[in-house]
Amino acid sequence: MEKMPSPLWTNSTSLERMTGTWRNALPYYKNLPSPCHGACPVDGEIAQWLLQVNKEDHFGAWITLVDNNPFPSIAGRICHHPCETSCNRTNLDETVGICSLERFVGDKALADGWAFAKPQEERPEKIAIIGGGPAGLSAAYQLRRRGFQVDLFEARPALGGLLRYGIPAYRLDKSILDQEIARIIDLGITTHLNAEVLDAKALKKLRENYDAVYLATGASKPKALPGLDYCADYVLDSAEFLAATNAGEKCELGEHLVVIGGGSAAMDVARTARRLGHRVSVLSLEPDELLPAQRAEVDEAKEEGIGFICSSMLKSVVAGDDGITLRCTKIDFKPGETRGAFSMSEVDGGTFDLTAHAIIPAIGQDADIDRWTGMLNAQGPVVATDAKWQTETDGIFAGGDLASMDRFVTQAIGMGKHAAVAIAGYVCPDQVVSQPDKGAEVPYKAINTAYHPKEQRNAQAHLMVDVRLQSFKEVQLPLPEAEAIKEAGRCFTCGTCTLCDNCFLYCPDVAIKKVDGGYTVDADYCKGCGLCVAECPTGSIAMQEES
Amino acid sequence: MNKMPNSLQLLSGNHAVSWAARLCKPDVAPLYPITPQTPILEKITEFHAAGAMKTELLTPESEHSAMSACISASLTGARVFTATSSQGLLLMHELLHYAVGARTAIVMFNVNRTPASPWGFWPDQLDSLAQRDTGWIQLYSETPQESLDTVIQSFVLSEKLNLPCMINHDAFYVSHSVEPVDVPDQGLVDGFLPPFAPEHMLDTNVGSSFGAPIDQATWNRSRKEMAAANDLVCDEITKIGREWGALTGRSYEPLEKYRCDDAEVVVVTMGSMCGTAREAIDDLRNQGIQAGLLKVRLFRPLPKQALQDALRGIPCAIVLDRNYSPGTGGILHQELKSVMYGQENAPKIHGLLAGVGGLNVSAENIRDWVKKYQKAKVEPESQWVE
Repeated sequence: MEKMPSPLWTNSTSLERMTGTWRNALPYYKNLPSPCHGACPVDGEIAQWLLQVNKEDHFGAWITLVDNNPFPSIAGRICHHPCETSCNRTNLDETVGICSLERFVGDKALADGWAFAKPQEERPEKIAIIGGGPAGLSAAYQLRRRGFQVDLFEARPALGGLLRYGIPAYRLDKSILDQEIARIIDLGITTHLNAEVLDAKALKKLRENYDAVYLATGASKPKALPGLDYCADYVLDSAEFLAATNAGEKCELGEHLVVIGGGSAAMDVARTARRLGHRVSVLSLEPDELLPAQRAEVDEAKEEGIGFICSSMLKSVVAGDDGITLRCTKIDFKPGETRGAFSMSEVDGGTFDLTAHAIIPAIGQDADIDRWTGMLNAQGPVVATDAKWQTETDGIFAGGDLASMDRFVTQAIGMGKHAAVAIAGYVCPDQVVSQPDKGAEVPYKAINTAYHPKEQRNAQAHLMVDVRLQSFKEVQLPLPEAEAIKEAGRCFTCGTCTLCDNCFLYCPDVAIKKVDGGYTVDADYCKGCGLCVAECPTGSIAMQEES
Repeated sequence: MNKMPNSLQLLSGNHAVSWAARLCKPDVAPLYPITPQTPILEKITEFHAAGAMKTELLTPESEHSAMSACISASLTGARVFTATSSQGLLLMHELLHYAVGARTAIVMFNVNRTPASPWGFWPDQLDSLAQRDTGWIQLYSETPQESLDTVIQSFVLSEKLNLPCMINHDAFYVSHSVEPVDVPDQGLVDGFLPPFAPEHMLDTNVGSSFGAPIDQATWNRSRKEMAAANDLVCDEITKIGREWGALTGRSYEPLEKYRCDDAEVVVVTMGSMCGTAREAIDDLRNQGIQAGLLKVRLFRPLPKQALQDALRGIPCAIVLDRNYSPGTGGILHQELKSVMYGQENAPKIHGLLAGVGGLNVSAENIRDWVKKYQKAKVEPESQWVE
């Protein structure tokens, strides 16, 4: 009888065994958005450009950045960085210093003179943009790079809007602003300065001459504090104060100033006044911990010797021979459900007096919508728009502070970008693109932290307080290149494959294959064990149940 | 120490095993120390340090890892030896199945010791008997000389049949007791034990793979092939034991019958107790009682035919078990009842739990039990005796 071969040994390879039939779940490369991307007002592909910085491809990082935001140097200085608040790394140690890295890339581009690529094609359609602030400039940039003819109308003598007339130089050096704006205009945008579009009639005429109009005139009307006499010589509104001081003009206000408000503008006013030699007190309705300004701004203001009188309300002002007396009361402040909403009650026996020389109210600004009566309708305090930022008048789009209560510079930049995409689709149907749904973000638990040892953040240095008070030099100092590369390396790169080969190496069935620019799963052999998912340092792979 | 005299040496059972290992020249020996096996390992490392053994000694972190290494090494065609005891053997359990299923030719020495709990170091055969379903060949040795001789024979057997073999001797009674042992000449062993040349082996030049997942029918076939190999063991070991006898004057059989020919009563046991029983049998014979001893040397595979032939026609068999299987009793007792079931002229079979946990069993004890149980009514359960 012929001896049968041993069942234990085989001369063929194990490829004959289709272990894929054992599986009930298959991994897939999902490339989900990172939480920072989800939080970013300009959809900034943060994980992607941080990875490029870490690989020392700074130009590549800049290209990724400016796809969504033409102002990395500016945003890297003044963005309220919701990306850092949402960063998965905060669960391990500290957020990645995304804002400081954006500045690093932006400043590198300015230093090396990197310019935007010219539009690939010239299109005949003409777009008018009214307002040369962050929203208007962002929209102008996005439309111009798509080849449209862009006319930019600005009421003031220079472009920049709030960036120029509202943000003090110690937060944003004007040369940075000038360079980043010039780089946009160099794409071939026609600018019209000192060209205010006065009213609905003028807007209508513009609309007739252009294929579409984008309106981003900001919020230029100061909110009025009830009971305060704005005509009195001891009152100066914050916007006026900042515009004047930013332009280098002097304000004769006396020694002790009281700034009313707790937001970023109030901090800008107070800190500017400190630098001009004033004694400054901030009077806010909100308690210290609920001040709407960024915490860093409050902390830096305190370092600079600014007094905070929180949970307090101005009741009346008595003018005297040498200054004024502010009659105030302590209040019980309760935040409301939505941002900006609140309720309050006076504290019994909480009245107190405050002596000063002038008051600068900085309680926010309203959009001037009355100007457009007859053309545009209001939706609460802003111009009404649809989901694509189009107003109720066909072909007129609006954004920035005029159309939204999300009053942050990068929100305005994001709105400008989104409106530009909508306008491109409006004037040119072949350019219609649907806004990608950001979808579910990578949760912290999807990150294998074994690959991410704890590591302290490479924080930016700050100017010494005594130096700060003698000039308008920027307080935040740039991150040196070596530290920037290291800091970018702290990024988990949530949801973005870094081609680390872990899945390829750990797969016990050799079922992961390398393909151009990534990997693929060989379903014939994948047993669905999930090792690739567990060993992915970036949470870029997930299991999908199979029926 | 490192001389290789073809002469008697005073050796403990464990050191006799070390000498056997040295003479068989294993390629690989993964070892993990455990009382009372440790002197085997120590002596081997001494031989190795002195250059008398060229074996690759591995000292992994556990017995489980040691057996894993044994399996891998054996599959590459290496001759493999290891030794353990009690808890160590129990820790290997998972891999004992694997080693047989993989048809390795590992030779392992086990020093029989009580398993915990309670903690103890005493001679008791439960540790190895509990492995009886794994498919390892099991041999039980009575003396240091027998341990040495059996290790050498086991390599021949295992490598011929591709079945791993476990040789056992009792803790202390054999492992640490010293007697004159004839250590054979290296040339004699070399001539007796041919080089290990398995049909299949893991070799990167061959491109043959092992142990890939199989379907139900193929697994089933692997067991039938294992059964066929088991059927050959009794005859093979008989042949090998006789060949060894021709070379050394010390012949071995799967069963040893001592004064059984005209016996009215036969004591059946394994391991060191056989020596005591031999003395008791002589005493009983002197007293006119026709007693004999049946020593079971090969326990797995159980030499069924040989046992039936040996016991047929003898009126009474008394099994002495140095082990206790809860719920069953003495394991050899149960095995013997099973083997004799339905046999004509089968003896009545008494099972005595004698020396469980290492209690001393004297010749006097055995004489008394033979006298008592030869006349007693047979109980189905094993009886505790002291």
